[in-house]
Amino acid sequence: MADVLGAFEQAVLLAVVRLRDDAYGRAIVQEVQARLEREVAAGAVHATLERLARKGLLSSRLGSGTPVRAGRPRRYYRLQPAGIRALNDARAAVDNLWHGLKWPLIKARTTA
Amino acid sequence: MTRKREGQVTPPRWAEWLLRLTLKRADRESVSGDLLEEYRDTVVPARGQSRADAWYLRQVAGFMWRATWVWAVLFSGAFVIRQAVDFFIPTHEFYVRSLWTTYTAIALLAATSFWSAWRSGSFIAGIVVTIVMTQIAAVLSVTGVTLLLAIWHDPATLKAAADSGGIEEAYVMPFIMIVPALIVGTIAATIGSVGRKVMRVDGV
Repeated sequence: MADVLGAFEQAVLLAVVRLRDDAYGRAIVQEVQARLEREVAAGAVHATLERLARKGLLSSRLGSGTPVRAGRPRRYYRLQPAGIRALNDARAAVDNLWHGLKWPLIKARTTA
Repeated sequence: MTRKREGQVTPPRWAEWLLRLTLKRADRESVSGDLLEEYRDTVVPARGQSRADAWYLRQVAGFMWRATWVWAVLFSGAFVIRQAVDFFIPTHEFYVRSLWTTYTAIALLAATSFWSAWRSGSFIAGIVVTIVMTQIAAVLSVTGVTLLLAIWHDPATLKAAADSGGIEEAYVMPFIMIVPALIVGTIAATIGSVGRKVMRVDGV
């Protein structure tokens, strides 16, 4: 397995998967916020997108702008095969950790 | 007062200018466009303009922090280490220590400015990011020195601190770094932005 994805990296990659052809910066920020149920800094999402693209997990292309953006282009992201593998590995790792346990946990053991 | 441009509300111009300085050249239009779209479409209608402006400034501060924190931690780390050496290994001969500290500071200022100018393709970005970095580093340095003195404040350490320039210097010096930041930053930013053009990084 290559680098293990962090939780925030998974949230960003899964947002790209969910948004399909509409996966551009602002939409990804909104999707991540909705899934994590908290406000997320745009800078954190953009830094993560840049890092994932540098690792080859995402590719990007520039699209056209709109008047509300003062004509500035949108950058659309797309998952690459390495990104799919990384997400599958991350899911398998979590499934392994939970294997044999019922979810949700009813009562945590507090004594050895 | 409502600011309008092209018939739509806009965030503070200076904040947008600052944001664009912190971004890579390739992302400048798309990322500033994302924030502008969110500001106009979602934040202003939901919170009103003054709170939307505050939201925008927080976003810009986040981008600025990400562009500077590594350099600021290195810069303040060098300063706090120098102070710790002066406090715990007293000497009357500061020449070699000063030489090391000075060259380390110059190298970090130059690296910050060169890197910022190179990635943004902007001479001004190199200088502004370096100046902001020194002031973040100053706050970190003062915090670090305060922690040192809070833990070790025996008479011997306080005497060593006084002999090495005084505690006042440890609290004032980090903020004065804005002056060398301006000088070194200007030179390194020139090299960074011109170097990018000469190397034809943008394919022009």
